[in-house]
Amino acid sequence: MSHIVEVPATIESIDVVQAEFDTWWTSLGEQKLETRFALELAVVEIATNIVTHTERAEGSAGRRYQLTLDADDATLTAVFADNGMPADIDLSTVTMADPDDEGGRGLALAIAALDSLDYSRVNGRNIWTLVCKR
Amino acid sequence: MTSIDVREADGGVVLAPSGRLTVVTAPELRTTVAERITAGDKIIVVDLSGTEFVDSSGLGALVSCLKSARQAGGDLRLVAPTEQVAMVLRMTNLDRILQPRASVADALHG
Repeated sequence: MSHIVEVPATIESIDVVQAEFDTWWTSLGEQKLETRFALELAVVEIATNIVTHTERAEGSAGRRYQLTLDADDATLTAVFADNGMPADIDLSTVTMADPDDEGGRGLALAIAALDSLDYSRVNGRNIWTLVCKR
Repeated sequence: MTSIDVREADGGVVLAPSGRLTVVTAPELRTTVAERITAGDKIIVVDLSGTEFVDSSGLGALVSCLKSARQAGGDLRLVAPTEQVAMVLRMTNLDRILQPRASVADALHG
């Protein structure tokens, strides 16, 4: 069964997303801790990306995003959807920042943590699809 | 949620953020470290034993605080990362410049 979370596109929403992730994860029963670390990290990175992109591009007033968490026998999937401006991103060019850099690690970490990360623009919405094998 | 416990110590100060270190809480760490540097502390020890989760925003704050501490003639040292934090430090190669010390005492005097 899907676990659906809808929150305002604000910095504080990250805490709500993590609390909901925790509830969903607990409902799955016993799982590998490293899988949780990986998926939760990627979920937080993408949520942060959505929130900060929204604030920069158009302000967060009235903006919301949705997270749908799903599990089947083989995979764990997190899908983000928001109706903000298109994310100007080419995931194939993302590389990890140097140790001295203060920023630029979010998407690289998400990609490294996941088995797949996809971004698409569908019917005026940004769709991020995060997949981890169980 | 995070709160940062601040402990004066012989040789520096020990900051212990508990909970999650993300975009929500990273500003508090930056502010706390900046205050301690202004107050004259040279060795800033970040005790991560109660930090259950860190992301790129938390790491960015640690790198920024490390640079500030070094610019002020001091250093910032990590102690006791939890499993998740150690994993993220490795994934980003930050364990090279923020190599965790074995104990708070080592971090203060090593």
